[in-house]
Amino acid sequence: MLEAAFLQVVPSVREPAGMTDEQRFEEIYNRFGQRMKSVAFNHLGTVAEAEDAVQETFLKIHRSAGTWNGEASFSTWLFRVLINTCYDILRKRKRRPAETPIEVIGDTRSAASIDDAKRMMLRRLLEQLPEQRRTVFTLFEIEGMSHAEIAQILDISEGNSKWILFATKKELQQQWKTAR
Amino acid sequence: MKTECSDLDNLLLEGDPFSMETATRHAGSCPECAEKLASWDDISVAAKSLRTEWNSDLLWPRIETAIHLEEKDAGHPRFWQIAATVLLTISVGATTWYAVRDGSRQAAFDKEIIRVSALESVERAEQAHLYAIAELEKVAEPKLEDAQGPLMISYREKLMVLDDAIAECQTNIDNNRQNAHLRKQLLTMYSEKQRTLRDVVREGTNASHQ
Repeated sequence: MLEAAFLQVVPSVREPAGMTDEQRFEEIYNRFGQRMKSVAFNHLGTVAEAEDAVQETFLKIHRSAGTWNGEASFSTWLFRVLINTCYDILRKRKRRPAETPIEVIGDTRSAASIDDAKRMMLRRLLEQLPEQRRTVFTLFEIEGMSHAEIAQILDISEGNSKWILFATKKELQQQWKTAR
Repeated sequence: MKTECSDLDNLLLEGDPFSMETATRHAGSCPECAEKLASWDDISVAAKSLRTEWNSDLLWPRIETAIHLEEKDAGHPRFWQIAATVLLTISVGATTWYAVRDGSRQAAFDKEIIRVSALESVERAEQAHLYAIAELEKVAEPKLEDAQGPLMISYREKLMVLDDAIAECQTNIDNNRQNAHLRKQLLTMYSEKQRTLRDVVREGTNASHQ
């Protein structure tokens, strides 16, 4: 399975002879690790939990090596597993409400220059969104994925993805105005 | 085509470069939509800044170790897993044995209940016959004592034969209360005696009218 996944992930590179599963996993991690951490962080709000989610995702992928049938692209499957893992962590957290997330990371490289107050405000607003809305917003606006990719990851239609993003931004726009 | 303020939401919903360009053009001449569009873009710009990257040199080694540990565990089941399997097998076995034993006890109990309840119904039917016979005898006895005609004499003999048969059947039933065949015979004889007594009453009444 990993051989096929590797070829899909790195189509232009011929797989080196005698490549082990471990090396293939490492290559996949190198390709997607940063983005996976960012997606997880924007769902969970702490570095520790985001890294736990990424680790758990790789373990799940390893465990269910035989279940990926190649119908969805490997990266779609990878992010679907990651997002479900984040949801599981969020649900566990709801049962332990004393723990509060949102962490300001010291050693980070932000994609755009913007003041911390706005960033924190948006993070707080995002935290209050329902799971699916938060995911669509994160994947589109933060990670720059297309609606087609989001639709595949969340198993919804492209139109639905567009509508969820629009409704979410409308809601955020309202709260953004009030909060400022 | 002229863009109206009411088109703004549709353009934002579409969100593709062409729609956004159209919205921006319209906002150039409409201060209200310009404000809406500005806050819309503000959110997008703030969102882009949430893309977060950090170095975590230890994450991949951690994942690798976790995968190794899982592989090892998959090959050699832990002691608690074996213990849990044994315990589960014993509990399932014990529960099944108890359920089967309890089931057969229950079945025997159910059978006994049905038997007792059937017996009670038969005995109630017998009591009803005896009551009806006693009532009929009260009326029929004087007519039988004065019996003169051959028909009445034959009724009296028939009733004597039936009484003997009933008494014998009753003796046998006393020895084996659950014998269904004897019970059936007794009920038939009671019915026959009732019918005969009714005939006696009817015959006696007809004779007195003549």
